[in-house]
Order: sequence, then structure tokens, then C-alpha cells
Amino acid sequence: MIRISRTVFCWLVIVTMSAPLFIVAGVSVNERKLMFFPPRGLSLRWYEEIFTKAPWFEALTASLSIAIMSGIIALSVALPTAYYLWQHKVRYAKVLYSIGLLPFALPPVITALGMLMWWAQFGGTGNYWGIALGHGVFLITLPMVMISLGLESIDRELLEAAQTMGANSTTTFRTIVFPMVVPYMVAGYAFAFVLSMNEFIISFFLGQFAVQTLPVKIFSSLRSGYSPAIASVSVMFILLAAIVFGLVARFGDLPRLLGAWTPKDR
Amino acid sequence: MAVNQPMEARRQIPRMVTYPTLMLGLFFLVPFAFMVVVSFWQRIEGAESGYAPGFEFTHYARFFSPLFTRHLLVSLEFASLSAFMSVLVAFPFTYFLSRFGRRPQVLTLVFVLCVLSLSEVIVAYSWSVLLSRTAGISNLFVFLGIMEKPSSWIPSYGAVLFALTYFNLPFATLIMYPQCTRLEKSLTEAALTLGASPVKTFFTVVVPLLWPTIFTAFIVLFVFTMGAFITPQWLGRPQHWMYAILINNQANIRGNVPFASALSIFLMVFTLTLVAITVRLGRRGLQR
Repeated sequence: MIRISRTVFCWLVIVTMSAPLFIVAGVSVNERKLMFFPPRGLSLRWYEEIFTKAPWFEALTASLSIAIMSGIIALSVALPTAYYLWQHKVRYAKVLYSIGLLPFALPPVITALGMLMWWAQFGGTGNYWGIALGHGVFLITLPMVMISLGLESIDRELLEAAQTMGANSTTTFRTIVFPMVVPYMVAGYAFAFVLSMNEFIISFFLGQFAVQTLPVKIFSSLRSGYSPAIASVSVMFILLAAIVFGLVARFGDLPRLLGAWTPKDR
Repeated sequence: MAVNQPMEARRQIPRMVTYPTLMLGLFFLVPFAFMVVVSFWQRIEGAESGYAPGFEFTHYARFFSPLFTRHLLVSLEFASLSAFMSVLVAFPFTYFLSRFGRRPQVLTLVFVLCVLSLSEVIVAYSWSVLLSRTAGISNLFVFLGIMEKPSSWIPSYGAVLFALTYFNLPFATLIMYPQCTRLEKSLTEAALTLGASPVKTFFTVVVPLLWPTIFTAFIVLFVFTMGAFITPQWLGRPQHWMYAILINNQANIRGNVPFASALSIFLMVFTLTLVAITVRLGRRGLQR
């Protein structure tokens, strides 16, 4: 009885969570430029439009290049920050780590406005680099926390063994620490990439309509009138996330990367 | 050497973190500080940037007009209710999930991550479809004979609240997941062996043990939802507009950047104060 109600509850949550995905997928294959569910007629022309119509395709490439760059930036800042805290528990390391947590401890609109004003001083709004840097700094939190998780899982005895055998800190990092945190770095990158693809408010503020990422493009085209292309873009986003996280789960230990461990791991 | 390292590290910023310091400083802290400064500057209409150096409290004085306090209260209401509701649903879900077998657990996690990565734009859009007359669930209810004819459920208060809760669900799940997996099975088993029903075990063992996690999830979601921008705009009426919309209006439409900065800082101070109070109350609740 209890077991059944538990299963029913879990399925209810999963179905509710997936409901909008199904509806959007259904709407995206409508034949005419109308929003119907169940779809009337079946056509993939709205998917075609993303790749053939310049505004959509530009938004797609903008989003992709910004996501790739910002993932690299986030990772490059996150790795030394997390490593430094793990190696030296000095106050500066803690301060820096807390600053890295801040973007996720403030309503994002505040970060976005600060960045907009700062970039506007140097004429840096409306270009790819501004958004990529903005996302890179904003999204540092996730890779940083994940890399820390990875570092915590390293047995310190291994490091002591390496040092006794004469390895200096660079060698220890290269041969022990780095290989062990690589899965966490990959997962952190995946997170930063997918969240950058979907981030709205920073892209919106810093892009100033000169650069439109896909979410901003969806936003502005919904204001100017409905097109099923919006639904097909959404479907592609969901598929992209599914592929990225599916790969992470296929080649890595997903529960562990997300912070799970059972007492016997220690 | 190992003894010297922390000493050196304390004296100056070590080379290892020069780059992170510069990046976070130049692109996060300095912009933030700049915003604080500009919130005291003068607004100049017609100038390109819209402001000039000065020192005045006019922007802060404007908060106390009923318009801004009302929208602040609206934001507060939506953020706390939706954070509460999503934790209410997500906690049992996450706890059960952490007890799943390995394979279903990984599959569910991938699914949750996919939902998590959805942009607020896409979530708000899909709920506007789902609650619309032509393509919404009301059609399903008509089909099932529950309703007579399809109707539109947007814009409305409920739609905003529901969509925000939905948006928070996967975040809540992922925040609480690590601690849920770490709860030792022997504790619940002990309660069950001693004759407590599963429901009683859940409320007297699981919930109290994981209370700090539940609480953290609530706080994080609350802060994030305070900045919601698209959902209230698309699914709600103007009286449901939250603070972020006002900030955007001032900064990007009316060109009053100093006022927008002051609004942002006020939003931040307000949010953090509430968080501090709640954390203190939560700790007291824990001690009791």
C-alpha cells in the first residue's frame, strides 16, 4: 500500500515535470502557423526554419559559441579557486571561494544589471565577448562546487605517498589530482554549457538586441507574434540537454558527480 | 616547505589564484561596486549614458511610493509561496529517488537535469501553451468529460505561481539530492523494526534529520525566484509583475540607470535581510 502510493507519487511528479515538454513537442510539428494541440497535420518545416532562416540560425550559432566559450571561462576560474581552497585552508582561499558562490546567492537580475552598467562604460555591450565573459563569471559556481566535490574524494594518503617518493607539487597535481578531478571538470563544463545555452537575463541585458541568443530570440519573437519555430527551438534545446547529460551519465558516475555517496565510499 | 606555504599564502595573493581573482574582481565585484556607486548618482535625461556623478538619495527615496512597495510584496509572496510549494513536492520525491535502484535513479537524474536546464523563457512559453484555450490541458478535460468547453487559464495568479513552482522543482531536487543519499538506511530500518509505520518514520526520522537541507533548498529557491522576470510577465497580469520587471523597465526602457541600480540594491538588501532572519528562526526551530 505504502509502496504503491510512493510509486504513484513519483510518477505523478515525473509526468507533471514532463507535461510541458510533450505539449511543446506536439505544437512544434503543426503544419500551419497556428498553435494547436494535438497538432493538426504533421510537418517538420519549423525545424527546417531554424537552420534556413537567418535570424534563427544566427541566434543558434550565437548561443552555441557563447556557451562553448563561457564553459571554458567558468572552468578556468573554477579549477584554481577550488584547488587553492582544498590545498590551503587559508582565509583568502575561503573568501575567494565565497565570491565564487555569490552569483548563485543573489537574484540574477542584479548581476545582470551590474554587468550591463560596467560594460556600457567601455562600449562592451552588444557583443559576443561581453556575454561569454558574463556567463563565464556567472556560471563559475557549478563547476567550482563540483570540482571541490571531486577534490574531497581524493585520499590524502595518496598525496603524502607521492611526496615521500619525491614528487613536487606540480608533479603531484599532474599525475594524481588532475586525473581524479577530470570527470568532475567534464560534468561541471556540461552544466555551465547547458545553463549558458538557456540563460536569459544576462544575455538579454548585455546583448541589447545587437546579439540575440536563442532564449532572447524566442522572447523577442513571442512579442512580435507567434511562430511554431519557437516550439521547435525549445524541443531542440531539450534534446541537446538530454544528449549532453545522457553522455555524462553514460561515461561517468552521475549520482556521484551530483554529490551522492554512501558511507562505504569513505 | 609545507610549513612555510600557508605563511606565504597569507601575506600576498599567490600566483595560483591571480587569474581567478582578476576575473571575479573585474567582471563580478567591480561591476557590482560600480552599481552601488551609480545608485547615488544624478540622472540626466538625454545624455547617452543617462547619468552623471553626484551624490543624492532621490532614487532611494522613491521606493516608498506605493507602486514599488506593492510590487516588492508581490515578489515576496510569489517567491516564498513557490519556493515552499516546490520544496514540499520535491523533498519526498528526492528522498524516494535516492532510494531507487541504480538504473532508474540515473535515468531519473538525467530527466531532472534536462528539465533543470530549460530556460525560464521555454518554461513560461510551454505553460502558456499548456494553459491556453487552443492547445491546453482544458482540451483534455473536455475530452474526458470533466469540462464542457475548453477555456484559457492565463493570465492569472495561479498560472504564475504554478509555473514558478514548476521552474523550481528540478533545482530543489538537485540541491537536496546529496544529503538524501547520505542518510543512513540503518536509521529508518531501526524505526521500522521498532514498530513505527513508514509514514511515521518519514515524519519523525527522515524529515528532522534532513531539515537543514530542506531549509537550504527553500532559501536558495526563494532568492532565485525573487529575480523572476519572464514568468510573471507572460503568465500574469500587470498587478502580478515582480521586481525584476521594474528594474528592467527603468534600466532598458526608461533609461533611468541610477534608479534601476538603487532598485537592485534595495532588492538585494531586502532579500538578504529576509534570508538572515529566516536562517536565524530556522536555527532556533532546529534547536527546539
